[in-house]
Amino acid sequence: MKNDSPFHRIAPPAQAQTRREFLWRSGGGLGGIALASLLGGEGLLAAAARAAESNGGLHLPHHRPRAKRVIQMFMGGAASHLDLFDYKPDLMKRDGQKSDFGEHVEAFQDGLGPWMKPVWPFKPYGQSGKMLGETVSELGKVVDEMAFIHNLVGKTGVHSQATYLQATGFQLPGFPGMGSWVSYGLGSMNENLPTFVVLPDHRGFASNGPKNWDSAFLPGQHAGTMIYPGQENPITDLFPGKAGGFVSAQSETAAHQVIAKLNRGHAATREGDARLDARIRSYELAARMQLAAPEAMDISNEPDYLLDLYGIKKNPPTWPKEINAGEEMDYFGRKCIVARRLIERGVRFVQIWSGNDNGFPRRNWDSHEDILRDHGPLSMGFARGATALIQDLKQRGLLEDTIILWTTEFGRMPSSQGGKGRDHNPYVFTNWLCGGGIKGGVTSGESDEWGYKPQDRNTPTTVYDIHATMLHLLGIDHEKLTFRHNGIDRRLTDVHGQVLKGILA
Amino acid sequence: MHLRRFILFCAVAFSSFAQQPDLAKLPPAVRKNVDFARDVQPILSNRCYSCHGPDRQENKLRWDTKSSAFNGGTSGGAIVPGKSEQSRMIHLVAGLEKNLVMPKKGERLSSNEIGILRAWIDRGANWPDELAEPKLKDKTDWWSFKPALRPALPKVKNRKWARNEIDLFVLAKLEEQKLAPSPEADRRTLIRRLSFDLTGLPPTPGDVQQFARDRNPKAYEELVERLLASPQYGERWARHWLDVVHYGETHGYDKDQPRPNAWPYRDYVIRSFNEDKPYARFVQEQLAGDRLFPGTRDGFEALGFISAGPWDFIGHAEVPESKMDGKVARHLDRDDMVATTIQTFNSLTVQCAQCHNHKFDPIAQEDYYSLQAVFAAVDRADEKYDFDPAVAGKRKGLTERQTSLAAHKKELDEKIVARAGKPLLDLDAQISALAKAAKRSDAMGYHSAIEKGQGITKWVQVDLGHKVPLATIVLHPCKDDFNGIGEGFGFPVRFKVEMSDDAAFKEGVTMVGDYTREDVENPKLKAKSLDVAGGTARFIRVTATKLAPRQNDYIFALAELNAITADGTNAALGAAVSALDSIEAPVRWQKVNLTDGWQPGASVSDSSELASLRKKREQLLTQATQADENTALGEIDRDLATVKGELAKLPAQNTVYVGAVHTGSGAFAGTGANGGKPRSIYVLNRGSVQMPGKEVGPGSLSCLPGLPSRFELPPNHVEGDRRSALAQWLTRNENPLTWRSIVNRVWQYHFGHGIVETPNDFGRMGGVPTHPELLDWLAVEFRDGGQSLKKLHRLIVTSATYRQSSASVPAFEKVDSENRYLWRANRRKLEAEAIRDAVLLVSGKLDPKMGGPSFKDFVVDKPEHSPHYEYHLHDPEDPKSHRRSVYRFIVRSQQQPFMTTLDCADPSMQVGRRNESLSPLQALAMMNNSLMLTMSKHFAAKVDQQNGDLPGKVRAAYFEAIGRPPSAEDAKVLTLYARQFGLTNTCRVLFNLNEFSFVD
Repeated sequence: MKNDSPFHRIAPPAQAQTRREFLWRSGGGLGGIALASLLGGEGLLAAAARAAESNGGLHLPHHRPRAKRVIQMFMGGAASHLDLFDYKPDLMKRDGQKSDFGEHVEAFQDGLGPWMKPVWPFKPYGQSGKMLGETVSELGKVVDEMAFIHNLVGKTGVHSQATYLQATGFQLPGFPGMGSWVSYGLGSMNENLPTFVVLPDHRGFASNGPKNWDSAFLPGQHAGTMIYPGQENPITDLFPGKAGGFVSAQSETAAHQVIAKLNRGHAATREGDARLDARIRSYELAARMQLAAPEAMDISNEPDYLLDLYGIKKNPPTWPKEINAGEEMDYFGRKCIVARRLIERGVRFVQIWSGNDNGFPRRNWDSHEDILRDHGPLSMGFARGATALIQDLKQRGLLEDTIILWTTEFGRMPSSQGGKGRDHNPYVFTNWLCGGGIKGGVTSGESDEWGYKPQDRNTPTTVYDIHATMLHLLGIDHEKLTFRHNGIDRRLTDVHGQVLKGILA
Repeated sequence: MHLRRFILFCAVAFSSFAQQPDLAKLPPAVRKNVDFARDVQPILSNRCYSCHGPDRQENKLRWDTKSSAFNGGTSGGAIVPGKSEQSRMIHLVAGLEKNLVMPKKGERLSSNEIGILRAWIDRGANWPDELAEPKLKDKTDWWSFKPALRPALPKVKNRKWARNEIDLFVLAKLEEQKLAPSPEADRRTLIRRLSFDLTGLPPTPGDVQQFARDRNPKAYEELVERLLASPQYGERWARHWLDVVHYGETHGYDKDQPRPNAWPYRDYVIRSFNEDKPYARFVQEQLAGDRLFPGTRDGFEALGFISAGPWDFIGHAEVPESKMDGKVARHLDRDDMVATTIQTFNSLTVQCAQCHNHKFDPIAQEDYYSLQAVFAAVDRADEKYDFDPAVAGKRKGLTERQTSLAAHKKELDEKIVARAGKPLLDLDAQISALAKAAKRSDAMGYHSAIEKGQGITKWVQVDLGHKVPLATIVLHPCKDDFNGIGEGFGFPVRFKVEMSDDAAFKEGVTMVGDYTREDVENPKLKAKSLDVAGGTARFIRVTATKLAPRQNDYIFALAELNAITADGTNAALGAAVSALDSIEAPVRWQKVNLTDGWQPGASVSDSSELASLRKKREQLLTQATQADENTALGEIDRDLATVKGELAKLPAQNTVYVGAVHTGSGAFAGTGANGGKPRSIYVLNRGSVQMPGKEVGPGSLSCLPGLPSRFELPPNHVEGDRRSALAQWLTRNENPLTWRSIVNRVWQYHFGHGIVETPNDFGRMGGVPTHPELLDWLAVEFRDGGQSLKKLHRLIVTSATYRQSSASVPAFEKVDSENRYLWRANRRKLEAEAIRDAVLLVSGKLDPKMGGPSFKDFVVDKPEHSPHYEYHLHDPEDPKSHRRSVYRFIVRSQQQPFMTTLDCADPSMQVGRRNESLSPLQALAMMNNSLMLTMSKHFAAKVDQQNGDLPGKVRAAYFEAIGRPPSAEDAKVLTLYARQFGLTNTCRVLFNLNEFSFVD
């Protein structure tokens, strides 16, 4: 199962001395890279695993995996559980009445106005009869594939800390993103593309920007690689830009040959240093990525019906200045279809972002002012793309071993703010998952009658549980996937986390 | 004791009876002798502590203390001494109870383990009293906590190889391991290695040739001296230090706002390395320079250490300390200060003791919070200071005089007010009521016409009526919630303030403040004060050269302009205002608002009624004033004016972002309003601000012999005394960690790995020294020998150990493939900065300018809210960005992609040792990054200027880039390539060779 592709493991973890020892030395003159491609051999694989075991149990997988890859959708700014997924009939009845939480509530701003019912009506969908808000009704088509968790709790109502917590498991900067951990634990499944790819919101970054998918203390190759489909250089420095006018196809090919030749001569007089061979190999892989990445992002050969399914306009119009559903569908749909193409080509972890920073005009989910205005188009956009992605993956047989995780920073308050908006609610919010190893059509954990806190305050779900469950499905025991940094054995789940058995298929 | 055991017995026996466990299933007790410490405690600690131990006590039971173990938890006792078959502990681990098996998580206990527990209980459950409590003290039995003593020099066989003491220690280990040192590297290799190590730059071909030919037996030593004396040494080693303290120039977190005044700290570090400042002083300045070395520039700029790390701007600026989220933000902020301090100077992970006592190291939770108490008054803020100690002294004297005069005046005023009696009180009440009624003025300020472009120039000016000598000019920003902008509405991004006697500003124009060259951070509601220092003028003009963004359009607005004279009056009050244009929308926006005496946050402008009441008040006071008082008050006012004038004459102060007492308003108030009184610090149960426990005072670690852990400060101490105490605690001779930590860091940067592999952790989770005696010898030699880092470098790089060749020896690889015993030199992959700087230098483009504000290799988009740092929009030809990488403006959220790909340090975490990776993305960056491509062109142009044929130029380029001439074969291949594709492409190839990135 361990797929130790050369792309991924060019430089093994700096701390994994025993493992490095093994990988770099037992290959004789071949060097780490050549060796890594030999790793398919049973004997070597077993030996590598043994060597790894003595290094803090990085013996993977820990158990039989149910899934191989992950697509995470992250709603920046905090999406409202109340208006999309978490049906609260009581709130509808009390709409407009003075809010009373029965306890002191610390609001982030001043969002303790009257109770406010969901902006959109709810209806049941699928065999499971799951209630969904109108703007995400598209998801009704696949709702029986989805498992909802309505009793997630956060630790903070501050965007930055909350985003870090959901993305890295810690409230402060300096910790690897979830995809980086998965990359570190499982490695790559392809030689031509990065293991962990991020599709940021095309308008800008959410809180913390690239720090949410940084490798932090994990080796650099586990950082999320940002991809901007449709741009001249969709990956930073994939091709020479304007400054490289002197480079031609011929000069490039010849340059690679000259570099390789001189580097081989240099390495030949410096035996025993696998890094020199690894660097030679990295140039070969770079050249392969130059071919593979644009192909992976090119959707021009996708059939029209499929583009339509994803809500993508073949020839997008000039979009109006105001936020609108068509534009949101088009952009989110493009990210979703590219995510599918990346997954198909062996990318392990794809993260799709919806919503940028808190600039003006608002283009994220932080609807303090007006749920209808922002959540409407944003949710219609993501629901269309997500539904199409689930259907498309299922039809290709990929859904069974691909986890889709939808998450956000925190929820929003059942009381209103300024009449039409909602303030932050870190006390309860919703996540949903579907795909590889997830039981469809279930709900695990309820919020209270208002959607203000968990129904059972003693047994909330935390981000650690979500992360533990996801790792579990990937064949990883979250307590054993560790990396020692500055004297601490770090984990994605810190010192917490329990696998959510109730949503496992 | 007997009685308790009996009761316990009954309870357990009863419950066992009720459930009727099948005792036949119990694994038998082992027969061997069972010792509690050797056999039993390891089982408890490995299998039980995680739920019933120091951190968690499920059912209030813990197996790490004798009393709890015997008393049992909420469901009763679990041990019946002498009777294991009746002990519930045994039932539970053996799985005799249907619904409950211990441990709940992980594997079941083996029969042997159960057998050990049974044997122990059956033989009376002997738990020695000396092990009754978990012993924190035992954890001090670890190499790093023991005193550092100068060890004797070891005896070696191959004595003639050794050049200095270091070699004796290294050789002794090599001989012990049956290894042997490698021969000395050749001179070309040595000069390249030394140059990169000491200055971060490659040697020039001329330097290489000269050194290679130098017959002087002291040539090497002289080279070392030259490199250590070069200012580039400080730049190189400062960068290492900045990694460790996680220095950055934006806050990080949400919105990631810039810190335009962080750089003086970076310059301080460079200067300190170049001046070879004694290490203790270097440490002390960074924690408490303001107290220990008052009035010095270094003592102030060094405090940038405390503020170097990330800061949650929103968690402070939008959430007050009274809210939970605000408390969390401030707790995390102090946590960063504490962790940074101890990790940097003492190489320990004290932050692990935030929720509980440190699991592995002898650090109590109370130690951790005592360290938080050291920083309890401090926040991160821009502070003003003087370069010149003489000026600082003068300013201090004047400020003190000002304070005492004001106090005297206050005293007199109070006497007079008391004498004026009830009529005055009544009048005051009237005035206050009236003022309250008109609290918010609607007269916002001056507002220019609205423009579609930002670069349009606009001005507004004030006519003082006649020539007035001025002390300061103050600009007050507006506040308008239009488009959610709020504070700082319309404040220009670039502007200048001038004075003249010519209304047209054509003649005799004096520049008061020029902010047209760089964007100014929006001051929000902070007034912009400009020193005029006695200048005289009739007209004051503010010219905006880059307008403020509004809503897809741009404007210039100002709430108020004050022209303050030496005696503190505002000469601009009510003065005539003219402007290039104005939207003139009374009452809110009109020119006259600029001098109406009101700005956001100020009290109301005088209405006529108020004015007459105030006049009446003045009269009352005059009547109540006695003649001598009147004289005294007059004198005080005169003196105050003089003091103010002298203060105004002092050179302008500088600003640096440091850890300091912050005085603010709104949510981010700091402790300034309380006179810098430290916040109360409590031991937080499980690290939660919602569960404060015991209050603690300032202190530090309690695990170092001979070093008191709590600081005995007088009750009336000021907050800085706490930091001083910590600084002194860290730099005491008795603190072995401090001295071991720094010599290990220096060693690591020279050899690729430290004597201790984990430079930031000397605790039990960290490494152990490969050469413990050498580490202590170096630590003591350094500590007692003047604490000179340059001396330490000299010692290291002149050793035979350092000068070895990096070539491998297959037989030794088998014994020590990691080369921990240093039987050869380590080939080093260059860091991101060294690569970038070498590329610039080789291309002839490196600007050696030292110090000052950082260069920005990005364009900022949308600076007003969440700045977007757009690196791809930067022009790589911009010469301002051709400085050494240590002067790069370091953004936390969006790190520079090229440098990050090359494993440069992440400013969000303390980097004691950089990751070293190789990836296709690195290959792409080296091949295609616009800086690399641009410099390939410059490199080629530089080489092309030389005389000679193409093969000669190719050879010259190779020598520049690689530090040696190419082999005949390589020269041929490269020349062939150059003929076909030109020198520029060839230079790009050279940059991408392995040998460019690796140093032998």
